Amino acid sequence: MRWARSGRVIIGGLLLLVVLICAIAAPWLAPHDPNEQDLLSILLPPAWMSGGEATFPLGTDSLGRCALSRLLFGARTALMVAICAAAGAGAIGFALAHVAGYLGGRADWLIGRAIEVWMSFPPVVLSLILMVGLGTGTDKVILAIVLVDWTRFCRVLRAEVRTVSRKDYVSAARLIGASHWQVLTGEVMPATLPLVITLVSLEMGIAVVVEAILSFVGLGVGANQPAWGQMIADARQNVAAAPIGLLLPMAAIFLCVAGFNVLGDGLRRSLDVRQTELRGA
Amino acid sequence: MIRRLIVSVPILALVSFLLFAALRVLPIDVAAMSLPPTATLVEVEAKRHDLGLDRPIPAQFLIWLDGVRHGAFGQSVAMRRDAGSLLAQGLPTTIELALCAMAVATMLGLGGGLLLFAVRGTWLEGLGDLISTLLMSVPDFMWALLLLLVFGVLVPVLPFVGRLDPGLVRPGGTGFLLLDAMLAGRMDVLWSALRHMALPALALGMGFAPPIARVLRSSLLDVYHDDYMRQARLRGLGETRLLLRHALPNAVLPTLALMGVQFGFLFGGTLLVEVIYGYPGIGNLMVDAVRNADLPVIQAVGMSYCAVVIGISLATDALHHLLDPRGRP
Amino acid sequence: MSLLVADALGVKVGPLAVLRDVSFSLAPGRMLGLVGESGAGKSMIGRAIAQDLPPGFAVSKGALCFAGEDLVAMPRSRRQALLGRDIAFIPQEPMAALNPVMTVWQHLDEHLARLGVANRRARAEMLLEQVGLEPGAVLPRHPHQLSGGMCQRVLIALAFAGEPRLVIADEPTTALDVTVQARVMALIADLQRRCGTAVLFITHDLRLASDICDDVMVLYAGRPAEIGPARRLFEAPAHPYTASLHLAAPSLTGPRHALLALPGQMPGLRDIATLPGCRFAPRCQVAQSDCQDGEPALTDGVACRHSALTRQITPGPKQPLTPVTTPVEVVRTEALRRVFRSAAGLFRRTETVAVAGADLLVRQGEFVGLVGESGSGKSTIARLVAGLDRPSSGRILLGGRDDLSRDERRRHVQMVFQDPQSALNPRRRVGEIVTQSMAISGAGGRRERALALLTQVGLSPEIAQRYPAQLSGGQRQRVNIARALCEVPKLLVADEIVSGLDVSVQAQLLELLLGLRASLGFAMLFISHDLAVVRHLCTQVAVMHRGVVVEQGATEAVFAGPQHDYTRALLAAAPGRGEFVQKSRSA
Repeated sequence: MRWARSGRVIIGGLLLLVVLICAIAAPWLAPHDPNEQDLLSILLPPAWMSGGEATFPLGTDSLGRCALSRLLFGARTALMVAICAAAGAGAIGFALAHVAGYLGGRADWLIGRAIEVWMSFPPVVLSLILMVGLGTGTDKVILAIVLVDWTRFCRVLRAEVRTVSRKDYVSAARLIGASHWQVLTGEVMPATLPLVITLVSLEMGIAVVVEAILSFVGLGVGANQPAWGQMIADARQNVAAAPIGLLLPMAAIFLCVAGFNVLGDGLRRSLDVRQTELRGA
Repeated sequence: MIRRLIVSVPILALVSFLLFAALRVLPIDVAAMSLPPTATLVEVEAKRHDLGLDRPIPAQFLIWLDGVRHGAFGQSVAMRRDAGSLLAQGLPTTIELALCAMAVATMLGLGGGLLLFAVRGTWLEGLGDLISTLLMSVPDFMWALLLLLVFGVLVPVLPFVGRLDPGLVRPGGTGFLLLDAMLAGRMDVLWSALRHMALPALALGMGFAPPIARVLRSSLLDVYHDDYMRQARLRGLGETRLLLRHALPNAVLPTLALMGVQFGFLFGGTLLVEVIYGYPGIGNLMVDAVRNADLPVIQAVGMSYCAVVIGISLATDALHHLLDPRGRP
Repeated sequence: MSLLVADALGVKVGPLAVLRDVSFSLAPGRMLGLVGESGAGKSMIGRAIAQDLPPGFAVSKGALCFAGEDLVAMPRSRRQALLGRDIAFIPQEPMAALNPVMTVWQHLDEHLARLGVANRRARAEMLLEQVGLEPGAVLPRHPHQLSGGMCQRVLIALAFAGEPRLVIADEPTTALDVTVQARVMALIADLQRRCGTAVLFITHDLRLASDICDDVMVLYAGRPAEIGPARRLFEAPAHPYTASLHLAAPSLTGPRHALLALPGQMPGLRDIATLPGCRFAPRCQVAQSDCQDGEPALTDGVACRHSALTRQITPGPKQPLTPVTTPVEVVRTEALRRVFRSAAGLFRRTETVAVAGADLLVRQGEFVGLVGESGSGKSTIARLVAGLDRPSSGRILLGGRDDLSRDERRRHVQMVFQDPQSALNPRRRVGEIVTQSMAISGAGGRRERALALLTQVGLSPEIAQRYPAQLSGGQRQRVNIARALCEVPKLLVADEIVSGLDVSVQAQLLELLLGLRASLGFAMLFISHDLAVVRHLCTQVAVMHRGVVVEQGATEAVFAGPQHDYTRALLAAAPGRGEFVQKSRSA
């Protein structure tokens, strides 16, 4: 499989594998319970700096919670949200894009207007407002992201679906008696699927960022669940005293998002090339 | 073109109605929140009737619209002030910040795009690609934090809280501080405002420049494959002229389309950047309102965000229409 | 003194040779035609002159000189000074060759400024008038607001603006309608005479080249096969390939003759390198055993050892084109109308009438040709008859009925699409594609049927395992036809299915269609802009102009004695009548 050999796919995949391992193995890798507070040891620097303790390898936050443990468990939150939200937004966007692009006419117009209306809200603003109504919690965060970001998928896919639907082989399939459903599943979707895969990868990166923003503002997964955004909010209050506490979650988010971006970029390039190879001669 | 303009009014109305309805179905009792905790049920009911909350939602919306016509956006439940006046204070601040950030993003983005294009075919191209992908993986609020850390805390050259040095008084006027300062001739205020705006604008700019650079570069690559470029070269025109006179005017069109979308996201990004830098715009207003479930303010501020984004997309469309003769019959 | 001289020119890409031993000399004021099918390398010569070869290609051998100066070794600055001034180009796709965001005036202004012209406005107006355009109407326009023919005239104006000594025209009329084509060719010939320019005219159409050029060179597999005066190549070709090209093209005048369907296709780059001897020998009808021993040199303008045998080349047995006598109708349209509405302004909706009242009749087993230029509505009618679109008004009766169910309709009429690239799903194998209708109807025996169909259209059975991208244009078109014939419909709608194919491949497909008609007995609505092809294939012809069928009848009758003005104009503009050259040269 050619795409598996792309440099970008490998690098992105490796980065994400690291994050995935951290997330899955968090209960075994973390030295402490991430919510356990030790008010005698607040704002400690990492173990290798002066003032640090060996029991807290990466230091503690303002409530004495272990930074390393919170990082590891935060990876769980981030990945859970990323995967579910991207899958949900992708599914809705994929379905609606096909309805709009293939059927055209009124359906296309309606969905196009809906996307326009939706996109008048800056995503950050809309997700905040939704969280007001939904309340905090991981599932609520996932729902909010799905409701906001389906438009991202729909916009891009709609154009692609339209292009493919205009091809003669789709008309030919109709002529030989295929029903609309058969044409969609047999001719159109195999062509649009590669694009969806790329978009899902990129969307997972976006979901991680949105989750972090919501947690930063205090409207995220809730106070009981460790989240990188919340770590940032906490560290920001004490940035002068303990700047490392700010850098750690930022680095984690960056690695995660970079992984998704590089992977998505690599997939897009290699799947695209395969398309043109199949098409051109 | 006129069609787009006329169509955007109902869109704005629809958007505000949806927002309104969504907020009204939430299990949040605005009436109870605007009264002291000791209020009795009867008083709460009376307040509800007073605010018109027992009417059907469309009717409530019309009442609200009517109020908007007269400039009254409802009373903030958290702060004892009219939401409209809060908005009037914060909106120009945010718009000013967003405009400066967009200027930064445009300069960095177009410059970066040209640079990436110039190194095509060399080994630097791969490096440029890698760097732009990594830069794109840093969201705008992280740029804000990073710049705050580096230039505010570690190497303190720029301020990172607020809009002006304490002690300086804002000159009145349009609400756009830079403009007001220049009009009033207060150079010290101007300088202070610029210094305070530097980090937030740069953070937003860095967040939104990489996509612009990428699209410009790929548009240029596409354009260079077009036949008319080859024909112009066969007429003996030089490469510089080809780039400036033939390629760029064409490549800028898809770039402009992306920039319009990006500006929408950038404007949304101002929210978090304002929170991080304590910048007194509608971002901070919104976050406070959301934390306090202050529905009228949420409604007013949410609407403003939408109105600005719709306005931006209209302006982008207009500019695109102006620059692309293919839309004309 | 020759203006442009090529001496044993060779162009390579990597280890593979694209052009070999190309030698010719072009004197000032003369027109040389470079004729070749796709893959012969004719465009490479034009690109080599401009040193605009694609990446990876380079001149490997020989010399190319312009007015005594070596074009290959020339420094870039000198070449840039020559381009646009002494050497000019006329491209193939006129609309794509002009910058879409610049007006015609801006194009001319820029070019004239480079040429150092003082009073540019006046000069631009004069140039446009010279090419038959009205300056006031055209100068402020953008390319998308002009027709293809008008864009090409602008490009011709740009090319001749500097009174060049050499103009290279690379397929300048291929993308244009046949009436426009004739006018544009007349224009080029006229300007050539006025400026005394030498013209290198690159084309795939041997007939067109013979009409207007002084000399013609025929290329095959990257090497010249024959070079000589145009008249001689037309009337008495010496090389077997030239003769085969002649016999493969259907003719509009004279008796209807059988077409020579050359087997196979031109060897690809890799094959060219490995074949021994004359590259045409595998397909040559009069090949001898010694043709394999090394490539024949170009002597007396012919690269063939046995050119004396050329006149023995004959096409195969003539496929009869028997007219149909049965009254059984397969499709009839009555007052067919199709209007397209588009939302342009705020309240206005512009209406385009694609088809304005068309009456057509196709009987069982009959091939009816539908001819017309672009915009005449013929493609719209094709889609309407096939059932892909609904008429705005009027009736379509299939087999006398207009109430067919989807299933019945599917068995009655099928369509063969024009562009094989978009007509075949790139992700499916050929065997799957041709029997796709069986998959949907749930019938068994797909594999056997696929093999039978492929054999019927003249493809070898192993093609069933391949993907469309691995096939040539002609092969893809055969797959297209096979798919439509899977359920043996009564009517086949073929929309420009041989346009854009090489002449030899086109001949193969035409003979195939005639053979299939004899064995399967289906009727066909054959849409084309090429009158000669229609004459060869169809017993009846309908001429369309601006959405209306202006004339309909037996093909020979209509072409011999056209009743409508437009039909007359179409016939007059078709190349290959031999009159064109006399007309312009006698002036």
